[in-house]
Amino acid sequence: MARLLVVDDEDEVREVLVRRLSREGYAVTAAESAAAARQALAASDGFDVVVTDMSMEQADSGLDVLRDAMAHDVFTEVIVLTAYGNVQNAVESMRRGAFDYLEKNLPGVDVLELLIIKVGQAVERRRAAVNTLRRLDTRVSRMTPP
Amino acid sequence: MDRPGAEHADHGRRSGFVETLHELFRDAVRFGATPDLLERVLGAAMRFVNGTRAFLALVDRETAEMTVACTAGDGWTEEGKRLRLHLAQETNRGITGHVAITSQPYVTGDTSRDPYYLPFFSDAISEIAVPVLGMTGHAAGVINVESNVPNAFDSQDCARLVAIAQAASVALGLDGFRARETALIEIGTSLNTTLETGALMRKVVDEAAEALKYEGCSVFLLDPNTNRLVLRASHRALAEGVGVASYALGEGITGWVAMHGAPQRLDHPQQDPRWVGRHTEMPADQIGALLVVPIISRDRVIGVLRVVRSRSHSPWFSNRFTEADERVLTTIASQLGSALENAASFQRLVRAERMAAWGELSAKSAHMIGNRTFALKGDLNELRHLLETGSREGCAEELELVASMERGIARLEEILREFRDFVMATQITLADADINQAIREVVAEFCPRRSAVALEMDLAEDLPPVRCDVAKLKRAFAELVENAISFQPQGGGLRVASRRVPPEERLGARLAPGRAYIEVQFADSGPGVPEELKSRIFQPFFTSRTKGMGLGLSIVKGIVDAHHGLLREVGGVGEGARFVIILPVRGR
Repeated sequence: MARLLVVDDEDEVREVLVRRLSREGYAVTAAESAAAARQALAASDGFDVVVTDMSMEQADSGLDVLRDAMAHDVFTEVIVLTAYGNVQNAVESMRRGAFDYLEKNLPGVDVLELLIIKVGQAVERRRAAVNTLRRLDTRVSRMTPP
Repeated sequence: MDRPGAEHADHGRRSGFVETLHELFRDAVRFGATPDLLERVLGAAMRFVNGTRAFLALVDRETAEMTVACTAGDGWTEEGKRLRLHLAQETNRGITGHVAITSQPYVTGDTSRDPYYLPFFSDAISEIAVPVLGMTGHAAGVINVESNVPNAFDSQDCARLVAIAQAASVALGLDGFRARETALIEIGTSLNTTLETGALMRKVVDEAAEALKYEGCSVFLLDPNTNRLVLRASHRALAEGVGVASYALGEGITGWVAMHGAPQRLDHPQQDPRWVGRHTEMPADQIGALLVVPIISRDRVIGVLRVVRSRSHSPWFSNRFTEADERVLTTIASQLGSALENAASFQRLVRAERMAAWGELSAKSAHMIGNRTFALKGDLNELRHLLETGSREGCAEELELVASMERGIARLEEILREFRDFVMATQITLADADINQAIREVVAEFCPRRSAVALEMDLAEDLPPVRCDVAKLKRAFAELVENAISFQPQGGGLRVASRRVPPEERLGARLAPGRAYIEVQFADSGPGVPEELKSRIFQPFFTSRTKGMGLGLSIVKGIVDAHHGLLREVGGVGEGARFVIILPVRGR
């Protein structure tokens, strides 16, 4: 079961995200700020995917979450959400290695369903990366005398 | 010298002459042409040429007639003063008039045989008249001395009189300079202290007309929306036309100056082929001289300053404008240009501050509303899920309600998006971009393939890369494409064109001559924009569509303005709407 961390400072938004992603069968942990996300990251064995809001305490708090998540586990995939925030920050998060970003308010689009698709893709990419790493690990350990 | 005792008298006159002349010049410089000084000039004139009667006449700029300013000797009455030059003006004859026309001294020793002389005082036998020259070299007045003795005046008298007249010349000239200086200072001061542009222009017009004797003065400013010169302040008969009277760019001499940015100074302007004489400060046929200078701000002509003088009916006085007049008016126009620019910057600053506060508020509230909307969408998503996975019997109505709420939220999000685009329109990040590519992408996205609207593309292949915020420009183009499509539900056409603006067109479009521009046009064959709405369509919340808040075209305007470009709607009524965007190639 893939492990997800959801970070958003708006209670209703956080609840909606947790509910929908849980329904999809993910193990979801929630955090209400970039600082809480850092604690959650430190307390866990790592998350497969982090879904974070961009604008929380700061207009670019999402970038902090991205940095912390990648510092903790470089293969963690991060999806950034924006709500009429600065698109430039979202683009910046892509430059720094986020998996994708998603605007919460695309008119006429069920963004939650879109998010489910993106999270699925992110989980897949993470799994592929981790598998590749394992294979490499195995090869290296075979080559190395005990 | 055949007069008895003339030698002695001559010596006496000469002895005080230099001292008197010195005093006259000294006081002319110090006090100007005061009545006292003119009296003393005339007194000296009579004394040093040994005349019996004299007068000093001045040309009145307003009426272009000569009037007697002061007299010396016996026999003068108020009536006499008034009548002395009356006949001469009626008949265009007389020695005084002759001198005014030729600007040369004139002497006669026998008035009865003189071809110019008009009898007034019966005892006048000799007469001498010299011009008082104005700043332009033309006569500003005449000193006239007569004597009851035949052949009373010789060449030495003439030389003395010319010297004395020069004192009056200097005094009058300095008065003119001082009046101009005062007027310029006054105008300069009021321009620096008045921020309300209407009051500012009225002040300039009044000062220029009064102090500088321009008779009629008007300010026309270019309306960037209609590209017409609209009267903003005027004087005399045209004062009622403020805000109404207008010229097309290039129309008439006034429009010509605005289009070419070069001053025009004309006598008998009615004879000029460009003359239209539509909006004039006085009846068009009475205008004798016209001077129009451009008002320039930041390399662009923003309007014109125009002055007129009435036709002079006097043969010896032309009412034409001089080069000095042109210099003064150009100075005023440049001061007015920077003052208007100041006022505009101040207004922009106030507006920018208000917009910044408003923008922050809007961004915050849009963010919060956006988040709440997202949460609502999540709840609806869950509700739909529950309804669809639970017992499906009898849920059709509930699912219909969910769909309706989803549509409502989609509308809400469209409004939010329009709102955000409006707030963000002016925040641009510049980078070189291919405008044709941007147009193609927008058209591909927003022009439905099987639309009833026939698309025609005419993109110039030599378009240079343009320094711009291409994402914002695409937003603007998309708005115009959507606009064209929504106004032609029954089908029609949309022509999208791009090109470089040729240098010779920059003038007419009020673009800086030294910079390169490109133009993008969106022309449809819909109903077009009615004339009375043209000035309002770019204002926020203006809409004749049911969709959205009416921010669409104001977003386009905000984006184009932020690029220091121009946006206009130039379609004729019944020909469809035609939006023209002009952008500087090298950005701001």
